[in-house]
Amino acid sequence: MRRVLLAGCLILCAASTVPSIAAAPTLLGKEAPDFVLKAMDGNNLRMSEFRGQVVLVNFWARWAGDSRQEMPALDRINTTYQRAGLVVLGVSVDEDLVHAREFAGAMKVSYPIVFDTGSDIGRQYQLQKMPMTVLVDRAGVVRYTNVGFKRGDERAYLDHIRELLRE
Amino acid sequence: MNFKYRVVSIIVRGALLASAWGAVAAPSPAGAAPAAMSAAAAPAAATPATATPTAAAPPPAAAAAGATPAPAAASSAAAPATAAGTAPAGAPPADFETLDQEVQGLKKDVIDLNKDLFVLEEELLFPANTQVALYVSMDVGAFFALDSVTVKIDNKEVKNYLYTAREADALLKGGVQQIYLGNLKVGKHELVAFFTGKGPQERDYKRGATINFDKGVGAKYLELKITDRVAKHQPEFLIKDWD
Repeated sequence: MRRVLLAGCLILCAASTVPSIAAAPTLLGKEAPDFVLKAMDGNNLRMSEFRGQVVLVNFWARWAGDSRQEMPALDRINTTYQRAGLVVLGVSVDEDLVHAREFAGAMKVSYPIVFDTGSDIGRQYQLQKMPMTVLVDRAGVVRYTNVGFKRGDERAYLDHIRELLRE
Repeated sequence: MNFKYRVVSIIVRGALLASAWGAVAAPSPAGAAPAAMSAAAAPAAATPATATPTAAAPPPAAAAAGATPAPAAASSAAAPATAAGTAPAGAPPADFETLDQEVQGLKKDVIDLNKDLFVLEEELLFPANTQVALYVSMDVGAFFALDSVTVKIDNKEVKNYLYTAREADALLKGGVQQIYLGNLKVGKHELVAFFTGKGPQERDYKRGATINFDKGVGAKYLELKITDRVAKHQPEFLIKDWD
């Protein structure tokens, strides 16, 4: 009898969690949430001011190992496609600003890094796992997202970037 | 009363537009329905109960239904219907022209309705008797490069705004920014604004300005002004109450 009750509970729990996962909202096709954050050099950067350019927003954290691999790859993409109208923005979601700055400085990337010590922007971009990359087209609409990073993902980024730059 | 009338008017106009658009998008085989409908719908705005079924009915019925409250509407609605009925069969351009004009008219109506809705929404969210609006302006700016403004009303932070180089530049060129729009109760309130940025000799600079004000029945407008005090080579931060 207990087993039956336990099984029933498990089924109910599963039934209650499955729809929430299935109905997880997606950013694709929607306008990218605007934000303004302080960059490494002390200037403030506003997302909407890059309207008219293709923007790659990369959310990273010091504690996410994949970020270390992804940032040099994004740096290469930035140096290659910057002139074609691509903007790469690195958004640190580390709460510890001092260590995040140290880490960003050590990575020596050429693109601007901004710091989000709160959680509002992460919530707006529906961060699930770090790192996360979002590609925004010239009209400010999210066209591609990638959660996590593994070798070879940069090729997918390049395909999408070229496509968006051609539009 | 006026407010209620406007709400009802907007709802009625929206319903009429929706029905008229439906008719234009799927015209009847006779091709005269849209013409009859818009003509009947225009004067019927004051009588919503009769207007909606009129719009959905076929052309002869529309003219008949519209005739009860407004005879003029009936005649104007019937005229294009008969005109279209007697027109030669091989004249599609005239029909298309009429349809195009109607679509343009509907688009204009939608824009007007949207504007009214926006105004209504503003009035609902921020009614004039509780409204408080804050503006930021900057004059010269030789001694101060603005980075951020934090506003507290009654010791509660209501706004923290970071300025990009472009925005600061726009303020220097004479732009005035509405930084906050909210609601406050009638009575005494305290507003504190903190300005951060780079002061003289590129030093980090943070200053505050305070104002105690009385919120009356009408809307309240306050301006946060950043000016240069040339004699002291320092920036000056003021809050001006626009009564």
